[in-house]
Amino acid sequence: MNALITESTRLRKVVGDSPRRGKRSQSPLERQHRRTFWPFAAPALILYTVLFLVPIGFAAYTSFYKWDGLSPMKDRGLNNYRILWRDPVFHTALTNTLEILIVGGVVTFALALALTMVLREMRHRLFARSVLFFPTLVNAMVFGILAGFLFSPSGPVNEVLHWLGVRTPPQWLSTDNLLPMVMGTLIWTATGFYTAIIMAGVDQIPQYLYEAAELDGCNAWQRFRNVTLPMAWDVISVCAVLWTVSTVNIFQLILVFGGTSAGGLPPSNSWNTAVYVYGEAFPQQGAPELGLATAAALVTLLLVAIVTVLLRRVLRRERIEY
Amino acid sequence: MTIALPTRGRSSRRKKTGPAVRIGTWLVWLVVAADIGLLLWTFASSLRGSNAVLNHPFGLPTSPKIGNYAKALSDGGFGRAALNSIFVALASAALVVVVAAPCAYVLARRRTRTTSALTMMFVLGLGVPGQVLVIPLFVGLSKVNLTDSLYGLILVYVGLALPFTVYLLTGFFAGVPAVLEEAAVLDGAGPVQTFVKVIVPVARGGLITAFVFQVINGWNETLFAIVLLHSQDKITLPVAMVNFLATEQYSGQDWGVMFAGVCILLAPMLALFSWIGSRIIQGMTVGIGK
Repeated sequence: MNALITESTRLRKVVGDSPRRGKRSQSPLERQHRRTFWPFAAPALILYTVLFLVPIGFAAYTSFYKWDGLSPMKDRGLNNYRILWRDPVFHTALTNTLEILIVGGVVTFALALALTMVLREMRHRLFARSVLFFPTLVNAMVFGILAGFLFSPSGPVNEVLHWLGVRTPPQWLSTDNLLPMVMGTLIWTATGFYTAIIMAGVDQIPQYLYEAAELDGCNAWQRFRNVTLPMAWDVISVCAVLWTVSTVNIFQLILVFGGTSAGGLPPSNSWNTAVYVYGEAFPQQGAPELGLATAAALVTLLLVAIVTVLLRRVLRRERIEY
Repeated sequence: MTIALPTRGRSSRRKKTGPAVRIGTWLVWLVVAADIGLLLWTFASSLRGSNAVLNHPFGLPTSPKIGNYAKALSDGGFGRAALNSIFVALASAALVVVVAAPCAYVLARRRTRTTSALTMMFVLGLGVPGQVLVIPLFVGLSKVNLTDSLYGLILVYVGLALPFTVYLLTGFFAGVPAVLEEAAVLDGAGPVQTFVKVIVPVARGGLITAFVFQVINGWNETLFAIVLLHSQDKITLPVAMVNFLATEQYSGQDWGVMFAGVCILLAPMLALFSWIGSRIIQGMTVGIGK
């Protein structure tokens, strides 16, 4: 039987019926790849299944129950989602997440593009880039803590403002101002990272395009608009997706921003969905609401999915070859 | 460098045309100066007494108080926490590279419908926020007694880092020419031998990049550490920092010690960045830009 099959494959190969299968059995390297595929991939796939896929499934399952983690789960159907729909705290958290994503994103990318343009033509650009990039490697809570000190009512920033003649400085760390402050800090620290990535894309653009543009009489803005932007578009669209995922994950920056109130959590005006999930699942007092928390997390996952698909739609265009 | 040279040659002409660029350049240097200033100020403040920091924030340490660091390391629990952080960061980074590398290699080499589906599955994992996983993983780990355990945390970090590491390494392995393997296979090397002796040395740069990324992430990760750890001798540095801030709420802030804590959190990243900064930037930009 076996011999017959190999016979027939070989025959077909000679006839030229199935060149693909014939080629596969030909190269020893191909054969080795086929044999080693599952043993090589298995550890990562198993870990990924246990630590990623199963938890996502479990989160989806839990979101239909009322559960405090100890007593038995009680079926709640879609009620967790209904509760979220009506919960003003969750509304704030979701709005804040979106605001950070969109407003923060637009500002960060505008700044990163401007910086790319400036850095391209500047001396010691690599040094400047390194310094601007460094905050990416620092735990975001450091900036939350430093901002809490710098902007405290009698802190250094107000002192400088006082010295400059500002008698009534803004209430930097009042609950209403926390989110803009968080966003400002985020933009400050994230711009360097995206600048570095976009710059790497811009460096790939061949110099002759700029020379041609210049010969055509383009000024700096036109060169940017007609050469840099279209050529670096792919990198920018990847960065936009990256931004979406990473802003949704912001947690410790908000948690510690401005010195947390006693008890651990900041005022709910500045919460994003990550802090909401944490607050519902591990509350300082009262019973944990694991079902509600996972429902909130899944809403966030849906948000990421929608935004990513939209971004890819909007930013997609023909690939430029050069 | 070849790109930078011709630009510089024309820079004088360009400056005439673009005042916006000149203002931009000044702004860039202003931000750079602010960043460096902030770093230096944080370090200077970590060597000063609490009252001095509060009353004269811009003063220099007249008599450096190394005691702040001693206090942070012992009373604040940062010493033990720093050791835990180092262990977790290094172990999770080593493990994730060991697990992800063979998988990324076979995913890069075999192009079938199954492998592209698997690759896609890892890529989709990049978009899953940590908050979706934190509750299920907490519940699951407490079932097997791995909460409040550094090993449990390492396991979680390996899982969290898998999608990105596989994605990054697939790109690197795809760039390794197949000719090398063909030669090895013809010489009679087995699959494991081919991988370890031929592929790994060639793709060493990618593996180191992936390792360094996870060291950085493991050192800074906060959400899962807060949720999973609570014993004083098990916590990592970010958790120790949050605990320190919480206790200081009641007993009055010791700013000098707090800045020392911040410096302990910062210093390894700064050291790493000064050592292999350009490699980190390059790795991130190339790995992501693809």
